[in-house]
Amino acid sequence: MTVLILTSEEDVTADMVVLRLGEAGVPVVRLDPADLTNGVALSGEYVQGACRGHLSVGGRLVSMNGLRSIWVRRPGQAAARAAQPSAWLTEESDQALYGMLRSTDARWMNHPDAARRARHKPWQLRLAQRAGLAVPATLITTFPQAAREFAERFPDLVVKPVSGAHPQEPPRAVPTSRVAPDADFSAVAFGPTLLQRRVPKRADVRLTVVGERLLAARKPVDPGAHPDDVDVRFAPSVSPWLPAQVPPRVAEAVHRYMKCAELAYGAFDFAEDADGIWWFLECNQSGQFGFVEMDTGQPIAAAIAGWLAGDGDAVPSAGGDGDQAG
Amino acid sequence: MQPFTLNYARPAVQLDVTTPYAYDSGLQLNVLPDGRIAATDHATLRALGTTTSTAGSKTHFDD
Repeated sequence: MTVLILTSEEDVTADMVVLRLGEAGVPVVRLDPADLTNGVALSGEYVQGACRGHLSVGGRLVSMNGLRSIWVRRPGQAAARAAQPSAWLTEESDQALYGMLRSTDARWMNHPDAARRARHKPWQLRLAQRAGLAVPATLITTFPQAAREFAERFPDLVVKPVSGAHPQEPPRAVPTSRVAPDADFSAVAFGPTLLQRRVPKRADVRLTVVGERLLAARKPVDPGAHPDDVDVRFAPSVSPWLPAQVPPRVAEAVHRYMKCAELAYGAFDFAEDADGIWWFLECNQSGQFGFVEMDTGQPIAAAIAGWLAGDGDAVPSAGGDGDQAG
Repeated sequence: MQPFTLNYARPAVQLDVTTPYAYDSGLQLNVLPDGRIAATDHATLRALGTTTSTAGSKTHFDD
């Protein structure tokens, strides 16, 4: 049984998992849907009540019925690199590939439906509340007056994109940023704005969940850090990520979150405050993990490889024996 | 008419770094010019930032 990995060629983080699978002797086929019709080929037939399909890439041929699991890592847009790409060809190729893969019994990390839903940050916030995680007071609005009133109730705010996406024309980055106390909220009317109470944090926490396994890493905030350096991705780094223990109540809540979200993989970001409370910020269903593994030595790639090679349930169940790194 | 959130945008750092590795379709791995597997060279990966939480932001929401 083969593990299918959908990702780009340059995805060196995926290489870490391919290596682990190779060491375990697990067959792997790796392809980028962007190469469909130009290096990647597919075929499927639905005849006499049976369904059979095949994928081909780089001289490898794999039966869709022989797929053990599918890891949707960093796939390109289907047929984006075809000889004559078009929106129509992309849609045709996307429907053919993912439609056939959905026809298999393979386990997904993560299933496209679950992944699509899990990308919605407002949905994440609500699910985190329901799961029992601490969520900073948050407002998403296009009403300037609502923003002003929220700022009166919570004077120390940050703003960040609702989608997590960065504008591309021209290319810009939008880090989570502190909002000045005298900010003019008029422009809130021109786009949904996510305002959130700033958590005065003593550490950032990245909790990587692979099936039932929880692998937490913590990066202490530099005592001399400027309060405006809110976003760990853009702030100066003085400490590496360090392995951390997951508080039991957080572990239980995270398992509930994963089960409700029907995710097999998730990268949670928390802000740890002075009382040690982990405040949920977001859960990236395809979050990067290589930088954490390199800093902490935690076997995240091996955990992913183990899940992909395993035979367990496709969706994690709450209350399992979470493997807490420490 | 600019959305409030974009008041906090900053120019994206353009990574003009050329990755020193190339994909080997036989191995299904990226390989350095000296034949080593790129994923085992943590020094190179750290220098390039290709495994960090901002890598891939241009095309993917989830980091």
